[in-house]
Amino acid sequence: MKNLNSPRTVAAVQSQRAVTMMLYPVPLIVFLVAWQLYTISDSQRQFIFSSPEKVYSAFTTLIVSGDLVRHSAVTLMEALTGFVLGTTCGAVIGLSLWYSRLVSTVAKPYITALGSIPIFALAPMIIAWFGIGIVSKIALAFLSTVVVAIVQSYQGAMSAEPRFLRLMQVFGASRLQTFRTVILPSSLIWVVNAMKLNIGLALLGAFIGEFISAEQGLGYMIVRASGLYDMATVIAGVFTLVVLALLLTSVVEQIERRLLPWRSN
Amino acid sequence: MVTSNLYFRAPKKALTISGLKFSYQKDASLPVLNDISLSVRAGEIISVLGKSGCGKSTRLNLIAGLMKPIAGEISINHDKSRCNIGYIFQEDALMPWRTVKANLALAQEIGKVPHQQWQVSLMDLLSRFHLSENILEMYPTQLSGGMRQRVSIIQSLLFNPQLLLLDEPFSALDFCTKLRLEGEFYRFIKDTYRAAVLVTHDIEEAIALSDRVIILNNNGTIEADISVTFDYCQRDPESIRGVAEFGEHYRLIWAKLKAVISQ
Ligand SMILES: Nc1ncnc2c1ncn2[C@@H]1O[C@H](COP(=O)(O)OP(=O)(O)OP(=O)(O)O)[C@@H](O)[C@H]1O
Ligand SMILES: [Mg+2]
Repeated sequence: MKNLNSPRTVAAVQSQRAVTMMLYPVPLIVFLVAWQLYTISDSQRQFIFSSPEKVYSAFTTLIVSGDLVRHSAVTLMEALTGFVLGTTCGAVIGLSLWYSRLVSTVAKPYITALGSIPIFALAPMIIAWFGIGIVSKIALAFLSTVVVAIVQSYQGAMSAEPRFLRLMQVFGASRLQTFRTVILPSSLIWVVNAMKLNIGLALLGAFIGEFISAEQGLGYMIVRASGLYDMATVIAGVFTLVVLALLLTSVVEQIERRLLPWRSN
Repeated sequence: MVTSNLYFRAPKKALTISGLKFSYQKDASLPVLNDISLSVRAGEIISVLGKSGCGKSTRLNLIAGLMKPIAGEISINHDKSRCNIGYIFQEDALMPWRTVKANLALAQEIGKVPHQQWQVSLMDLLSRFHLSENILEMYPTQLSGGMRQRVSIIQSLLFNPQLLLLDEPFSALDFCTKLRLEGEFYRFIKDTYRAAVLVTHDIEEAIALSDRVIILNNNGTIEADISVTFDYCQRDPESIRGVAEFGEHYRLIWAKLKAVISQ
């Protein structure tokens, strides 16, 4: 489409984008200023709500000591591994359910049941099985993501447009050809949506594991700090978690652009 | 036409339907089609007219093997192989995730049409249907409705079908483009000696293009099977509209169709 745009509209789009970029930090700044004004020179409030100043100094301490990077790396690794494994396995399972109506019919209630189990309930058991190391966190991140990926990709496979399936039938395509040409591409949107949902779920899974029992990771750091009523470190940890989630989401958006180029038109 | 020898010449009988019956209900009540018999020869174009909802698309679906009839036989050529059929749906079926070129390449991927032949046929068909090569790199959403219809037609033709089923293929076009495409389509079918069954709502189009016009009744039977012949040897869908016989055919068909539609 690039060549269809006149230079003026390109410039207009660019300046629009610049304005949007400038507006992005505004709510954050407003929030920080309000927070600072509310807690300034009131130690009672500062104890409960901490303050931007304190959080900032907690950040510097954590960064200087290397703790923040170490804990973040652990959480990121757990969540990412669980995410990749869970999403891949889920997509493979979900898409292959399309192949057999019988298997998918039998599997459906199990998948629904699996999806309705809160991960919180499983966490103690998983930790008992896999220990308090990173494996149990990866398992939790995997379990939180795999169901969403199965359900989404199966839905994607089943919601392929009938007109394309009819076309394949008229062309005399085999089931494998139909899978490759129609089912796979039309479920990609769903798989990408599963990825978007799963970023948050994987982080949550890893975090819950760390929260319950761990020796490292952001969840561990936050639990320990809140035990010490160190609100500044808690908030710094939460903030880091949010930044990780945003970072991963933007990676998924990049992947989306790669996988679904026709949608950007 | 130089290109006509590129395409396989179909044997005489392209399609035979006998005693076809179909119903969407399990208990076979309210049949959409009831005891339909029909045969189409190679090189023949047949138009099907009828009230909206009378079962025209259903009939094409049955011929294409997308649905199974309750009773009756459909035979295409001598064998029953499905790849002999091209079907252009009422709505286009171009995949939005493939470029136009990749959509057209399905003939290579699925139809096993050799690359060389595909390439030559593609260039021929693009120029026949007045599409520029530039559209090949575009996505279907970037095309107009009329362009998508033409691409759909080309997509089917690249499979080299001997029987073409078309469900209102020229409906999304302006009158001039429509006339031109009708002409190209007519010549293509005749040059390459294929058969076509064309569903349309346009009586003029039916007369201009076809050798026979079939009017379907609302209860699933054939109301009339009218031959459309002209004493005019150079038949061309555009100029034929000005011939006196065209008006006669029009009046006859309109009278029958009006009776069916107003039922
Ligand atoms: N999948 C379906 N299930 C049940 N009934 C259907 C189905 N498809 C079509 N019908 C019914 O069968 C009849 C014939 O439909 P069909 O699509 O063949 O009509 P048509 O002649 O092509 O109409 P139009 O000119 O509007 O395209 C209609 O009355 C419709 O309600
Ligand atoms: Mg129809």
